[in-house]
Amino acid sequence: MMSSWTGFRTLIWREVFRFLSVISQTVFPPLVSSFLFILIFGLSLGTRIDEVQGMPYLHFLIPGMIMMHVIEGAYANTSSSLFISRWANNIEELLVTPLSYFEMVLAMLLGGLARSLVTAFGVWGVSLFFARVPVAHPAATLFFLIFVSLIFSAAGMIAALFSEEFEHLTLATTFFITPLVFLGGVFHSITMVPASLKVLTSWNPIFYMVDGMRYGMLGTSDVESATCVTVVLVIFTGLFLYTVYLFRTGYKLRK
Amino acid sequence: MTPAIQIENLTKHYRKLKALDGVSIEVSEGDFFGFLGPNGAGKTTTISVMTGLANFDGGSVRIFGKHVVAEYRETRRMIGLVPQEFNFDPYLSVQQILEFEGGYFGMARRDARKRSEELLEVFDLASKRRDGYKKLSGGMKRRLLIARALMHRPKILILDEPTAGVDVELRHQLWGFLRQLNKEGTTIFLTTHYIEEAEKLCSRIGVIHQGAMVACEATTDLIRKMSGDQVELFLKSRLAVLPEALKGLSVTLEEEGGKLSFEERGELVPKVLKALHESHAEVERIDVRRPTLEDAFLKLTRRKLEMPL
Repeated sequence: MMSSWTGFRTLIWREVFRFLSVISQTVFPPLVSSFLFILIFGLSLGTRIDEVQGMPYLHFLIPGMIMMHVIEGAYANTSSSLFISRWANNIEELLVTPLSYFEMVLAMLLGGLARSLVTAFGVWGVSLFFARVPVAHPAATLFFLIFVSLIFSAAGMIAALFSEEFEHLTLATTFFITPLVFLGGVFHSITMVPASLKVLTSWNPIFYMVDGMRYGMLGTSDVESATCVTVVLVIFTGLFLYTVYLFRTGYKLRK
Repeated sequence: MTPAIQIENLTKHYRKLKALDGVSIEVSEGDFFGFLGPNGAGKTTTISVMTGLANFDGGSVRIFGKHVVAEYRETRRMIGLVPQEFNFDPYLSVQQILEFEGGYFGMARRDARKRSEELLEVFDLASKRRDGYKKLSGGMKRRLLIARALMHRPKILILDEPTAGVDVELRHQLWGFLRQLNKEGTTIFLTTHYIEEAEKLCSRIGVIHQGAMVACEATTDLIRKMSGDQVELFLKSRLAVLPEALKGLSVTLEEEGGKLSFEERGELVPKVLKALHESHAEVERIDVRRPTLEDAFLKLTRRKLEMPL
């Protein structure tokens, strides 16, 4: 019995299998780094900071920390998976199958989502050693976790298609994603920065993702949660459609 | 009957280079079709277009009547591809490579497991099922490529130089396997550099040269049409010059007048014998070599055999 659903499910499982087979490189590092971040910034330095948005700095920090690792994990997963497939040429194995381009893209995104969710729950688990942060709006939390993962999974796929060398992937992380993450309010509230940086921050899409996550977990945010939802949905739709377009036209995939 | 493969006026450019120039091929269901051409002639490009690994600029490609672009999901289900290069998933073991392939083609997990077991046995890879493909020898990797392409029981098997770099024993095993597969109804589209391989296996041959088809017909017809018997007459006494009656015909005098060579297409032998008789030359021995596909191929692609240095 042949079914298209089986093909789609197989590709999702392949993506999950891939990151689990190198778990020491994919899942464990964010757990270690989040432990250290919370220890140093939350417990040590955080005690010298007054409450932020009406709560202890450690509580404020944890949603941002989760979102940071979700973003990095999703991007790293799809970018390395697709780039290695291009590099080892086993992407051809996939391109000759009857999966639609939509299914190929969606399955890879869901692979990135799976890694992000494992990381997110892992980081949240690590945070429990330091503080028990209640989840104020579970649905909103899940929404931001899922859609931000999908956004950066799509970004990773686009980067993998545009890159010619492994180095290009890390360049995008170093010079684009990391600065936007750090300036996006992972460690601070927009109210804590000078006016000029506030304007810049308002143009940083990651700020809305972190702020949305904070709304989901803590129930407080710097901007309206509806604005965060809108920004996330618009970016997701744009990147998803663009990734499907790149697959459909065979950009760097077909000769 | 709908052809298994129908390529019409296919064109493709790589920037300014015209890789395919109006290629048309028709392969019937059950054919064993050989696709020959020198390096860079366009064989792999044609295969890539059929299987969805390359875009094209003009023309159409249909698999059992379905268009490879508009109906790509249907056409891909019917094709199994054995590529020229190894392109295995580096994260998977040998058996997983087969099972995931079956999964991509929609096979239920249990069916994929059963089919992979069968193919591992057939291709003598069962003892390597848990190894990564990098631990396999070159011959084993070739066998794994074929096993992978057969996972979903395709109606058409496309092989891009499957025996390149394979030892003689394995080559013969693969030939036997492909013959059997063809006998069981699978249409086979084979590219190879070994002309002898194509001559032995293929019922029909297409020759591509510089992106354009220069022949496409039954193997025996192609050989007969392109090349006559190669005749060599060894003389008892040497001739100083070619007899006048043979000048202008494609007869050459070689070995310092001791041998006459020509290609017999049904009219030269009587003329040559008559001319020799008139020149009082006696024939010591006659060698006749039947034409081969290689002769036809070389003529079609206008290649000259070069003496090794």
